[in-house]
Amino acid sequence: MENLHRALAEIDAIRGQMARTTEFRGYGPATLAATGVLAVLAAVVQAHWLKIPSRDIGTYLAIWIATAALSVMIIGIGTIRRTRRVHFGLAKAMIYSAGEQFLPPIVAGLLLTIVLVRYAPQSLWMLPGLWQVIFSLGVFSSCQFLPRPMFAVGVWYLVAGLTCLALGGGERAFSPWAMGVPFGVGQLLVAAFLRYGETDDPT
Amino acid sequence: MIHERARLGLLTSLVAHPKGLPFGTLKQLCRLTDGNLSRHLKVLETARLVEISKGYALNRPQTFCRITVQGRKRYLEYLAILEQVVVDAAAAIKAESGGNAASALAQT
Repeated sequence: MENLHRALAEIDAIRGQMARTTEFRGYGPATLAATGVLAVLAAVVQAHWLKIPSRDIGTYLAIWIATAALSVMIIGIGTIRRTRRVHFGLAKAMIYSAGEQFLPPIVAGLLLTIVLVRYAPQSLWMLPGLWQVIFSLGVFSSCQFLPRPMFAVGVWYLVAGLTCLALGGGERAFSPWAMGVPFGVGQLLVAAFLRYGETDDPT
Repeated sequence: MIHERARLGLLTSLVAHPKGLPFGTLKQLCRLTDGNLSRHLKVLETARLVEISKGYALNRPQTFCRITVQGRKRYLEYLAILEQVVVDAAAAIKAESGGNAASALAQT
C-alpha cells in the first residue's frame, strides 16, 4: 500500500515539474478583456455617482473591491474551464501553479486595504497606487509561465502605480480614472498579448 | 511504446526539460550506454515522440534531443492511465483488507 501511495506521489511530482515548465494558456483573452471593460465601467459608475470620493471612502472602496471580486470570479471560472480544456492531463497542476503565482498579491492587497482602513486612514490616498504596484508584482511573478510580452504589462502596472503615488494625495488620488485607466488598459493589454502572443508549442 | 523502462525514463527526463537535452546529459540521467540510448531514441523518433537535431556546442558536434508536442501529449495520457491503475490497485487492496477485517469480526 505504501508503494502505491509513493507511486501516486511520484506521478503528482512529475505533473508538477511539467506544469512548472509549461507556458500557461489557461487565461482566456476574452475573459481578461472583460475585466478591463469592467474596470472602465467601474470608473464610469464612480464618476457618475461619487462626485467627491474623499468624503465617502466607504463607497469608493465598495465600488473597487466589488469590481476586483467580480473580476477574480470571472477570471477564476474562465481559467478553470479553459485550463481543463487546453492543458489535458496537467490542468490541476497548472491551476495550482497559477494560483500560487497570483493569490499572494491578491491577499496582500486585501490585507493592506484592511490595515490602512483600520489603522492608517490618513494614508488611504495611497491605496490606488499601492494596489497597482502589488498587482504588477503578481504579473511579474507569473511572467515565466506566460507569453514573453507579458513583462510589459507588469511594467505598465508598476509605472501606473508609482505615478499615482508620485502625483500625491487630495482629490486626484481617488479620481475614477486613477483606477479605471491603469486596470482598463492593463487588462486589455494582457488580453491582446494572450491573443497574439501565444506560441504553437506550449512548452 | 512508452511503458518500456528505458524509454519511460527518457521521456520523463525530456518532459522535465522542454527545451531539450544533449545526448551526453540524457545518457547520464538515464544511465544508458551510447548504443542503448541511440536505439531507444530512434524508436521514439520514429513514433514522433521526440525530435533529434545535430549541431555544435563549443566547436564540438552535439546531438540534441527534445520532446515533441505529441510526445508530451502521449506522455500525459500514459501518466493518466498509470495513475488510474495505481488508484484502482490501492482501492482493491483497501477493499480486500476491509473484507478480511469484516469476516474476521464476523467469525469472532
